[in-house]
Amino acid sequence: MSEPAIRTKDLVKRYDRAGITALAGVSIDVERGHFLCIMGPSGSGKSTLLHLVGALDVPSSGEVMLNGRSLATERNLDVVRAREVGFIFQLHNLIPTLTSVENVEIPMMAVGVARRERKERAVQLLTEVGLSHRLDSIATRLSGGERQRVSIARALANRPSVILADEPTGDVDSKTGDQIMACIQAARKKSGATLVVVTHNPDLSRGADRTLHMKDGLLQ
Amino acid sequence: MLILKNLLRRRTRTILSTLGIALGIAAIIAFNAVGRGFKESLDRYMRSTGAEVLVVNRSAMAPEYSRISKEEVDQVRALPGVEHLSPGTFTIISGRVLRKPKIKFLTVFGRVPGDRLIEKFKGSLEGRLFQADDEMILGSDAARDLELRPGDTLELLHHPLKVVGIYKSDVKFESAGCVVPSSMIQQEMKMGDSVGLFWLYLKPGTDWKGLRTLIEEKCPNLAAIQTSEFTAYYNQLDYIDWFVWIVSLISVVVGGLGVLNTMLMSVSERTREIGTLRAVGWSRGQVLRLILTEGILISIIGGCLGLLLGTFGAETLIHWAPRGLDTRYSGLLLTQGFLIAVALGFFGALYPAWQASRLSPIEALKYE
Repeated sequence: MSEPAIRTKDLVKRYDRAGITALAGVSIDVERGHFLCIMGPSGSGKSTLLHLVGALDVPSSGEVMLNGRSLATERNLDVVRAREVGFIFQLHNLIPTLTSVENVEIPMMAVGVARRERKERAVQLLTEVGLSHRLDSIATRLSGGERQRVSIARALANRPSVILADEPTGDVDSKTGDQIMACIQAARKKSGATLVVVTHNPDLSRGADRTLHMKDGLLQ
Repeated sequence: MLILKNLLRRRTRTILSTLGIALGIAAIIAFNAVGRGFKESLDRYMRSTGAEVLVVNRSAMAPEYSRISKEEVDQVRALPGVEHLSPGTFTIISGRVLRKPKIKFLTVFGRVPGDRLIEKFKGSLEGRLFQADDEMILGSDAARDLELRPGDTLELLHHPLKVVGIYKSDVKFESAGCVVPSSMIQQEMKMGDSVGLFWLYLKPGTDWKGLRTLIEEKCPNLAAIQTSEFTAYYNQLDYIDWFVWIVSLISVVVGGLGVLNTMLMSVSERTREIGTLRAVGWSRGQVLRLILTEGILISIIGGCLGLLLGTFGAETLIHWAPRGLDTRYSGLLLTQGFLIAVALGFFGALYPAWQASRLSPIEALKYE
């Protein structure tokens, strides 16, 4: 049996200054190509878990393994974030002065993709998420749904093996939210990537291979 | 794309920061050009005399305060190796005394009629050289400002002097001055028969150092200077360099603080964006280079603008300042100005860039 795409062992995250334990020992395995939905109320630790899995933060103790490699032994987490992980944030976090294409090019710049290839790939990804008519629109002129689609295209830019989405529909209405989720699912199926979505919206777990619930930093 | 768009996002701030650099570099270029121009004018003036040695009173801070007695002049004239001695006097008259509002002051060179020192004007002279004590010749700039032509009369030091010739000179303060008989300055300045200074034309093969030793042995209060070393000898000219240096330093500090402020503000405003860049895989080095490049780009544009403004400023300065100032630009000065601008951008952006690169991606993403 192959290594899971994501494995966490007894993951703990404490914020000593604030005296908070956000994760109190979480162990999960996510198979390659699977869709895991993690649900829980605000403050349950689900976003913290996502940040640790995505190498945005480091655990206080425990271990994260991506595709069989421990992040603790990775010398350069930037490379892991650039090549292995695609993030979709609740507030999309686009660079407001850049166009849709330029925003999608940003992760490719991190790994030194040539300019021409960057542009071609960005146009292709934006077309796939249904934004072929908004390629040169500045981010601030896009609607909330359009921005999140750009964010999805950006997450797929370096063909990551893992897509991590933190409340991807939290900033849009329910109809747009359904479209966004369909878009993420379609992208996952096409790319074969493993998808982890954290949310407090039960609708988002539709189609998930597995749904986990968290509370007070622990899996329920 | 990211760099340009970041800079254009806050256009006014970027423009002001660029102008800060530009004005700093302009000040460096302008003051250096005028300072160097003045010193080079002095060197050119000394070369134009054709003499090898200038002799002044050792205790005089500047040539205009120098006094040399007739006995000393005669002693030096008689030394072996001296082919010819040209005495000179010198004063400056205010434009108000002349009742000529167009000029701030007139530089007056006293020379002996028929002496070798005034022969140099022959080639560019309109009219003739003076021969009598009530005649004078005027530089072309002074003649234009005083609106005088050959044949006109100028009241100078209580003497009506007839302008008999107008000369041209590539030395600005000479072109903005006049040459009169030395006797008139000696009389008006109560100098008796002493002179201010004198130039020596040496016989071929004369050892100038040996001659200097002789002069200083015979007349201990005299100093003999090679004309080619004039500006190096008079250390009060170093004040020009000091002034330029201090102005340059202030300009550099102001320009650097401008870039520092702009880039600190920029980094602070873009904390979340920097967090996003780090989240999608940008390394600390890439973020550092992004901010540094923005600072350097501001300074390159500011530097180029500063070179233009500095050149324009220096020319404007010498146009409106009292006549006699000159400018000198060199490739080295312009290169130095440009490199200072780039260094300002680099060092001004270094701390903000370092700060940006140290941001934790997760903390930056949470930044409100």
